[in-house]
Amino acid sequence: MLVFWTTLLLLLVAVKGKEVCYDRLGCFTDDIPWSGTVERPIARLPWTPQEINTRFLLYTKKNYDNFQEITAINPETIDYSNFNASKITRFITHGFIDQGEERWLSDMCKRMLQVEDVNCICIDWVKGSRCAYTQAANNIRVVGSEVAYFVNILKEKYGYSPSMVHFIGHSLGAHAAAELGRKIKGIGRISGLDPAQPYFQGTPPEIRLDKNDAEFVDVIHTDSAPVIPNLGFGMSQAIGHLDFYPNGGEEMPGCQKNPLSQIVDLDGIWEGTRDFVACNHLRSYKYYSDSIIFPDGFLGYPCGAYNLFEKGSCFPCPAVGCPPMGHYADRFKDSITSQFTKLYLNTGEAKNFTRWRYKSSVTLSGRSSVWGNINIALYGSGGNTRQYEIFKGRLRPGEIHTNLIDVELKVGTITKVKFLWNNIIINPTLPRLGATKITVQDGETGNVFHFCGSETVREDVLQTLTPC
Amino acid sequence: MDRLWILLLLTLALAESSIYPRGLFINLHNGELCLNSLQCKSCCCHRTKGLGLARCADKAAENQECSLKSLYGVYYKCPCERGLICDADRTIVGSIVNSDFGICKDPSNKISNEKEERKKHGD
Repeated sequence: MLVFWTTLLLLLVAVKGKEVCYDRLGCFTDDIPWSGTVERPIARLPWTPQEINTRFLLYTKKNYDNFQEITAINPETIDYSNFNASKITRFITHGFIDQGEERWLSDMCKRMLQVEDVNCICIDWVKGSRCAYTQAANNIRVVGSEVAYFVNILKEKYGYSPSMVHFIGHSLGAHAAAELGRKIKGIGRISGLDPAQPYFQGTPPEIRLDKNDAEFVDVIHTDSAPVIPNLGFGMSQAIGHLDFYPNGGEEMPGCQKNPLSQIVDLDGIWEGTRDFVACNHLRSYKYYSDSIIFPDGFLGYPCGAYNLFEKGSCFPCPAVGCPPMGHYADRFKDSITSQFTKLYLNTGEAKNFTRWRYKSSVTLSGRSSVWGNINIALYGSGGNTRQYEIFKGRLRPGEIHTNLIDVELKVGTITKVKFLWNNIIINPTLPRLGATKITVQDGETGNVFHFCGSETVREDVLQTLTPC
Repeated sequence: MDRLWILLLLTLALAESSIYPRGLFINLHNGELCLNSLQCKSCCCHRTKGLGLARCADKAAENQECSLKSLYGVYYKCPCERGLICDADRTIVGSIVNSDFGICKDPSNKISNEKEERKKHGD
C-alpha cells in the first residue's frame, strides 16, 4: 500500500510541472500541453529575458542602411529613434540558430522601404536561438512576450493600435506569435514563413501559431515533409486564414543541386551553406522577399491538393481573384472564411522566383505521326517568354494537347504564339507538322486568346500563329 | 588556381555520385557549376565574368542577347533556343575573346523584314 501511494505521489509531482516567472513578461510553465505530451516529450523552461536578450533593430526610410536599436524597457529610446507612430510597424523574426542581424532580415526591410513607408523592426534573439532545439522552442515564448510588451508600450505611449502591427516570423520565430496573440488581442496581421514543425505540429493552438492569434494570418509552407525521414523542418498543417503551398510545399525547385553547386552560391558561401543545410526551409522568406517587389508574381490558386492543381483542375483564378502569396496577401483580408484555405502555386528555381501561370492547348496538323515534343512561346504586351514544352510523345495530326505552363514574365495581352516541334528519334523522312489552333488562357484574369495557323513546318523551325 | 580547386572538388563529388541518382558531371540542372556546355541539360554553361564561376543556365529566348556557338563551350551570353538564330557577325577578335554577341531572332521574321527593307529602298 505504501508503495502505491508513493508512486502516485511521485507521479503527481511529475505531472505538476514547474513554473518560472519574470517581471514584465509573466509566468511560463512546463505543464501539459507545454511538455509531457507525445509532440513535446522533453520539458524545458524558457530562459530569462536577460539571457535571451531580445533586441529590436529599427529600419525606416530615414535610416535605410543602419538600424537603430530601440527597447521598450527604456521607452525614451523609441522617442529618440525614427519610429513614426502614424505608420504601420512590421516586425521580422528569425528562427532556430539564426540571428537578427542576418542579411535576409535587413534585406527584407529594405525591400519594404522601397515600396512603402513603414517602421520595419528586425527582432534579434540570437542568444536564445543558438542552443538545443527543445530549449529554443521554449525560449521563443519569451521572445513573443517581449514583442507583446513592446506593442503594449507603444499602445500606452502613442495610443498605437495593435491593428497596425504586422508580425513576420520564420520557422521557430513564427510561433512567437502564439504568445503575442494570446497577450494582445487584435494584432493586424501575422505572417508565418514555414513555421517550425518539431514540437509544434499537432499541438493545441495556444502553443503554436494559429489563425486566432491575429485578425489575419497567412502562412507560407515550403518544407512541410515529415521530419522523419525526410528532414522537413516546416509544418504541413494548415493553421492560418490563408495557407500557401508553393510547389506543393515539400520540395522547392533549385534545392536539389549537388552539394558543391549549392554551397558555392551566387550569393556567397555563407548563403550557400545555409541553403545546403535547409534550402527548402529558407525558401519561404526568399519568396516573401521577392513578393514585396512583384505583387502579382505569386498568385495562389485555391485548390484541394497539389496534384489537382498540377492537373489543372483549379485553373484559372476564381472570379474574386487569386490571393497573392507573401507581402500582399492581406488584400484578401476581407474575403477570408472560417475554413482553412489551401492555395497552390509554382515558383521559379532562382530569384526572381516569380511565375505566371497559363493554360494552353495545341491542335496539331500535318500528314505523318512522329515521336517528338512540342513547345510554344508566348508573345505579348509584356514581352515574350522562353519556349515551354506542352507535350512529349507520339504526335498525331488532329490531336489536341493541353498543358499548363508557368512562365517567367507577365505576358499581358497575348498578340501571337510561336510553335516549334522536334523529333526525339532521328527521322529521315523529313516530316512536317504544324499547329492549326492554339488557345491560351491567362490564369490571373481567365481571358482566353485564340490563335490560328495554316502552314506546317519541319522540326526546329518556328511557326507563328496569329489571332483569330 | 580557382579552377583547379573546383575541378578537384567536382572529382570528389563525382566519387560520391553513387549516392545521388542525378548527374553530378553530366545532365546538370540550372544553377549547378559546370566547365562545359556539354554537361548542362540546357546546353549552356554560362558565366558573367571571365574570372567568374560558370553555371548551367537557360538558353536565350527570342529578342534576348546571345552569343554565337564558340569552341570554348562556356558563354558570357547563352546561345539561342531551338529555331532561333543569333543575329551577330562572327569576328576574329570576337571568336578569340568569346564575345560574338547578338540578339536572338526568328529566321522567318528576319527574311520578311529584309524583303520589306529592300522594297523600301527599291521605291
